[in-house]
Amino acid sequence: MSIITIGIIDYGMGNHASVVHSLRDLGFRVRVTKEISELDVADVLLLPGVGALPVAMRNLHERGLVTYLQEQARLQRPLVGICLGMQLLASASYEHGYTAGLDLIPGEIKPFTDHGVHIGWNTLECTQNDPLYTSSDGQAFYFSHSFYFDGPSEYQVAAARHPSLFAAAIRRGSVTGVQFHPEKSQAAGKALLKNLITELVNA
Amino acid sequence: MLKKRLIGVVTIKNGWAVQSFGYHRYLPLGKPECMVENLDRWGTDEILVQSIDRSGAKTGPDYALLGKLARLGLSTPLIYGGGIRTVEDGAKVIQRGADRVIVDALLHDDLSVVKGLSEQLGTQAVIASIPVAIGAHRLEWFDYRSKVAAPIGEALFKMIRHGIVSEVMLTDWQHEGTPFGFNNELIDMFQNEKVPLIAFGGISSVEQMTALLARPNVAAIAIGNFLSYREHAVQRFKEVLASGSLRPPIYATEYPL
Repeated sequence: MSIITIGIIDYGMGNHASVVHSLRDLGFRVRVTKEISELDVADVLLLPGVGALPVAMRNLHERGLVTYLQEQARLQRPLVGICLGMQLLASASYEHGYTAGLDLIPGEIKPFTDHGVHIGWNTLECTQNDPLYTSSDGQAFYFSHSFYFDGPSEYQVAAARHPSLFAAAIRRGSVTGVQFHPEKSQAAGKALLKNLITELVNA
Repeated sequence: MLKKRLIGVVTIKNGWAVQSFGYHRYLPLGKPECMVENLDRWGTDEILVQSIDRSGAKTGPDYALLGKLARLGLSTPLIYGGGIRTVEDGAKVIQRGADRVIVDALLHDDLSVVKGLSEQLGTQAVIASIPVAIGAHRLEWFDYRSKVAAPIGEALFKMIRHGIVSEVMLTDWQHEGTPFGFNNELIDMFQNEKVPLIAFGGISSVEQMTALLARPNVAAIAIGNFLSYREHAVQRFKEVLASGSLRPPIYATEYPL
């Protein structure tokens, strides 16, 4: 089997180094780029991200990537969002006002009540029998966010509690996102990344 | 449920990892990247790297160090503090490999920049570091550059209440580096604020850790010197803490890839 190539979308937000290292450790070929010609030849597109969503969407627009990503999702190319990258997949967000998202998975990004934040290691609870995530059910992953995905339950495939259940992983066809940081979740995170990408490519 | 955290702290001075005692005495430990690599290997919940001479010297964040740490391929979340003066500094720190930033001098200098950091990086990525001691029955906030302690101003409390920062690291600066030194009263005197707290400074014993982690407003304990005195200190502490609030110790052999 040929080596899987992952195109990490460089839109000026977040820390790519950890994602790149994790993926290379797992044997994947990695390109960090904002060039559509390079993203076109990747097997999997990956949206990482640390930051606020309005700035992220502005950067994606400035780089001409919003339309591109929407078109790739329609073509059913595998697309993975991590943390902010997962939130970008939603229809809209209320972070610092109302901002339209990529609208690849119906739902809105809303704040935890009372300025709450959710930072630290929490247990993943699979709510659907999705092969991308079931092998990681019950494992702890690192979360760092203050907004969460609120959308139809059919797109929520795994959850965590803070204290009530919220979406920890969402999926619509070949597009999926995780609210936590698998690249910063030590061995459990690497195991999830390996399974998720392999399953997506072979789906 | 969300677990509380054990944060490993690496203090950097003049480019070297040091043991720090009471914000005034320092002993060299070695290369920062070696200390950080150990903490990553031992399964620390987060790693805090604080370059304590960058703000005073106005030299900005230590990007060279961040580059070295990025090349390690850490799989543990990294918090960086030191020399952050602007929103652009904070954004670059994240782009160079940190997951969150912690600010101290900036809380004295310009709260509007802290607000800007929160808007650019997200609230969750910004931590306020507040070194405190008890004086005249109230908390006094220590400015490590001027060596002056003063009551915490209303502007800082207001910023905390507005959720501009995600967590506050409350440091017992007088007892930093002292075994069994952390004064739990500092936490109790801060309890009216709803923000999650990170306790740091002189936390060395399981009894201290247990007492601190039992407090609802303590989200994490941060330990510096006392993780450096023996191998696998993180796992050993976690093994004996016997607390369901912490993530259990992790051993790499449990996850063959």
